[in-house]
Amino acid sequence: MGARSRFGAAGDALAVEMSSLAQFVRSFTVAITAASRRGSQAGTGVVWHPDGLIVTNAHVATRDNYTVTLATGDKVDAEVIARDKDADLAALSIPVRALRPAPPGDANTLRPGSLVLALGHPFGVANALALGVVHHVVRDGAGDPRWIAADIQLAPGNSGGPLVDATGRLVGVNAMIVSGLGAAIPVEVVTKFLRSTVGRSAWSPEVWAA
Amino acid sequence: MPAAASPSVLESLSNDLTGAVERVGACVVAIHARRRIPSSGVVWKDGIIVTASHTLQRDDDISLTLPNGDKVDASIRGRDPSTDLAILEVDAKVTPANVDTGDSLRVGQLVLALGRPGASVTAALGIVSALGGEWRTWHGGRIDRFVRLDLAIYDGFSGGPLVDGSGRVLGINTSGLSRSAALTIPASTVSRVADQLIATGHVRRGYIGIAAQPVQLPEDLVRSLSLSQELGLLVIGVDTGGPAQNAGLLLGDVLITFDGQPVADPAELLAAMSSDRVGAEVDVGVIRAGRREKVRVTVGERPTERRETRRGRR
Repeated sequence: MGARSRFGAAGDALAVEMSSLAQFVRSFTVAITAASRRGSQAGTGVVWHPDGLIVTNAHVATRDNYTVTLATGDKVDAEVIARDKDADLAALSIPVRALRPAPPGDANTLRPGSLVLALGHPFGVANALALGVVHHVVRDGAGDPRWIAADIQLAPGNSGGPLVDATGRLVGVNAMIVSGLGAAIPVEVVTKFLRSTVGRSAWSPEVWAA
Repeated sequence: MPAAASPSVLESLSNDLTGAVERVGACVVAIHARRRIPSSGVVWKDGIIVTASHTLQRDDDISLTLPNGDKVDASIRGRDPSTDLAILEVDAKVTPANVDTGDSLRVGQLVLALGRPGASVTAALGIVSALGGEWRTWHGGRIDRFVRLDLAIYDGFSGGPLVDGSGRVLGINTSGLSRSAALTIPASTVSRVADQLIATGHVRRGYIGIAAQPVQLPEDLVRSLSLSQELGLLVIGVDTGGPAQNAGLLLGDVLITFDGQPVADPAELLAAMSSDRVGAEVDVGVIRAGRREKVRVTVGERPTERRETRRGRR
């Protein structure tokens, strides 16, 4: 009885929450396009740090220079400063400060059935939102999350974009589609990549305390 | 919007869903009875596991991975390909699922499809997209309600439970009864078939012992015999010693009615031979040498089904 009536009574609140969550996730999501191919979308990225650090997939950032379109609509030049093909991660730097970064989440809190949202630019559609649940979490030998497999409708342009939990915290970077499932790289793996390449993990909790 | 707001609707919904997955996931096992990826099964009663029959590609050498990770042997207690259900027996203590055999399904209801195609439980979210009344599967099995889902099908879907937001099992999911959509066999049907399989090892089905294929009846014949149908079933095989042969049905007869009802499709004939027909005397209308004839057949019980080896389904 409880669950069904709750879904009904909470319908309005759910709709309001979803749209404000979408707007929130949009604030730290960027579009990444190739500088030479005008207009053609290459992929999506996540603002990682206020001082201009952007994270995306290595398969999105195969060149050295890109154009990044911020949530404000501003277009800026971006330079690829690190790339790891095996991890399928890349870091870009843009000459903009005081950006609003994604709030850090924890992939270890995810369980099968956890609600997740993805934002991206599939097929050139700006800021397409997708809702789904965690299907399962693939763990490495040490028991740490290696992949988040999600029951969520993704398309190629989602690559490099954020996967957030029900509170809007970043839990993964969408990377590929495997047997219909969305596969995201857990934030912990991204942190490790940044620490070993650009020399800082660069979560900025002080921004969120402000 | 602050990320750490007080628990939101979305957050509590997410917690409800993960809670339901955790509770029911403790009753979902992986079944190793086919190549490649294991299928899923649900602990329905003590030591009794329900799964989708089409996922069992062998009859022996079946093992399970339990929710706690233990691997144990299991044996088939019975299977009913007509409803795509099978029952496994296992000598292990696993808590049975909280099954809801009532009529609580609603169109639009949020539901989870759980699976265990390996060590860990998996979840997919969707809604009940359509409900209907009793229907017959393409093998003639009776399903109490038609339950169609708007939900993505991944490995481990078949044999897994359909779960509501409060962790009740509403049925068993299968991709073996429809080529296009995710379907659920409602819990009431699962319990009915399971009881029969536990008692006898199979589900009784009517049988007359013929092989038949649909044929177009010549127009002038339809007119001269004033038939209400354009198709009939050409008898292309008669089992030796079977009810049809005993009743005098011949190779080449074209079957047009069964117990007074027109039959133009093998599925209609199968549907007409439910378990309650076993032992009944039934008039079968045929066209033989251009004339209508009536043959009285005593419906027998179908010998145990051959095992199915359909592949490429999840």
